[in-house]
Amino acid sequence: MISVHIEVDHLSKIHKRGDGEDVVALDDITFRIASGEFVAIRGASGSGKSSLLSILGCLDRQTSGVYLLGGIKVSGLADAELSSIRSTQIGFVFQAFNLLSRTTALENVELPMIYGSASVDREKCASALTRVGLGARLNHYPTELSGGEQQRVAIARALINDPALILADEPTGNLDEASGAEIMALLVSLHREGRTVVLVTHDKVTASHASRVITLNKGQVISDVLVSRNLHAKPA
Amino acid sequence: MMAGIAVGIATLAVLSSIGESTRRETLKRLRNMLGTTDTIIVRPGGSTRGMVSVASTPPTLKPEDANAIASVAGVKQVAMLINGFNIDLAYRGKHAVTGVFGVSRNWLELRGDQMGSGSFFTDLEELGLARVAVIGEDVRVALFPDEDPRGKTIRINDVPFEVIGILGVRGAGPSGGSLDNVVLIPLSTAKRRLFNRDFLTMIIAQLDDPLQSDAVTASITLLLRNRHHLDPVSLADFNVTNPRAVMARLSRIGSTLAKVLVGAALIVLLISGVVIASLMTLGVAERRREIGLRRAVGARRADIRTQFLLECLILSGWGGVLGTTVGLVGANLAAAWQRLPLMFSWSVLILSAAVSIAIGLISGLLPAWRAARVDPVEALRG
Repeated sequence: MISVHIEVDHLSKIHKRGDGEDVVALDDITFRIASGEFVAIRGASGSGKSSLLSILGCLDRQTSGVYLLGGIKVSGLADAELSSIRSTQIGFVFQAFNLLSRTTALENVELPMIYGSASVDREKCASALTRVGLGARLNHYPTELSGGEQQRVAIARALINDPALILADEPTGNLDEASGAEIMALLVSLHREGRTVVLVTHDKVTASHASRVITLNKGQVISDVLVSRNLHAKPA
Repeated sequence: MMAGIAVGIATLAVLSSIGESTRRETLKRLRNMLGTTDTIIVRPGGSTRGMVSVASTPPTLKPEDANAIASVAGVKQVAMLINGFNIDLAYRGKHAVTGVFGVSRNWLELRGDQMGSGSFFTDLEELGLARVAVIGEDVRVALFPDEDPRGKTIRINDVPFEVIGILGVRGAGPSGGSLDNVVLIPLSTAKRRLFNRDFLTMIIAQLDDPLQSDAVTASITLLLRNRHHLDPVSLADFNVTNPRAVMARLSRIGSTLAKVLVGAALIVLLISGVVIASLMTLGVAERRREIGLRRAVGARRADIRTQFLLECLILSGWGGVLGTTVGLVGANLAAAWQRLPLMFSWSVLILSAAVSIAIGLISGLLPAWRAARVDPVEALRG
């Protein structure tokens, strides 16, 4: 049985611009993502894909419509509850890595634990870094790491509270081809573990790692295609 | 930022401890000089200030005046003094220059002084013009560095006296000089055998009730004017000091000074607080991305608020620790330089801690509020 992880129903997002004009970022979007799916959301810049990711990540609220995460209606939750969901159920990977520059790789990975329910577990952080291939660089600062290495620290950070959902926003956008391929391989391995991975990208090659591609244009879904569904899927 | 708080707290600590130290020390020295506070002091001469020596004293105060004062209502008893300064002392080739006080028997009691060792002179010795002396600690150190002075004979202006006792240590007087460079001898002996004068350099009247000092001061003044046949327009040829009034005035001056100084320090701290608040608020803008990231990995608004508040608190807290350390060291250096006693006051420490915590919290309010309001979506996009 495949359970529904993400359910988006008639979702709209309207931004108020500085001059008072309304900008429609998302226009009546509806889709479902099952647990364990690897979905790429594609679209040109301004298509609304980043707005969608912010709402899926519980960082922003929709203007209208319904968003259910794991069956829970997110729009009704208070700040503290949203924060708790972000810390325990969602792992973020950003284009710009967003590591804290004055703290070591290890301390960066610890960060979600500080805000999570569990106490900080250094061993666990170290093994997360070892898993992404940085076991020898625990105490390096971000400036001492290459872009690919920094993104791997960010992935270790996203994993540390063992979330079921990974949200990646152009994770290879700032990387060269080889580093980008390594990062994509890591995301694929997270998917193989059974996590739901939602990847936002404008790049066709990056999107090709996913088993489903949702394409947005001007805030609307213009295509929703299953590709090579069995390529990365869990063995049944 | 931290330096500002440190400077402010240091100023506060230095000023408040010096203020406090000075005030306490002034009172203590005054008490040292005047003895107990329930006394009124009468000296010869119209405008005499401080101690006078017999050689330069107008002959206006007689022992009979002292006896008359003793029967004024509200006066418990009266002590008399005839003294000279810069008197030569000698003992077996050692010399000292000191003040010699011829005093009545009740002197120690009225002054509130203690004997260190040996005994004070008796009524019999007073009546018999005995050549006996009680010496102060400075004199003991000068003449008897390594022997017991009791029973030894010293020469005061070439007159031989037997040392019968040593006074307890009294410390410094109001002007910083030692009060222990002194020799006490019986009043009668001083009058007949040493100074050959019959007038007094000081009368001390002890009161039944210290609160009556103003009224008794007026009675004594009136009595002496009558006894000295002064008509109402003449200036007095004596002066009466009411120690309670002097002390009240001095301690008021001391505390006013301390208040002004503390006020100045608080202004410095206020400025530092404003600087912390504005720099930290600027810091919020620079750290938007960090705030956005923390929010994304699970920080609540309250967590961000707490973080910025704590950072301000830590900043001003360290400033406070630094400032208090520098301040207390500085205050004690200044105290040593001014020959005031070293001091460590819990009230200064608690004040410093409270002020730095308060500044940290208050200056952290605005940046913390701003930080908590940062929109994570906007912050992470940039």
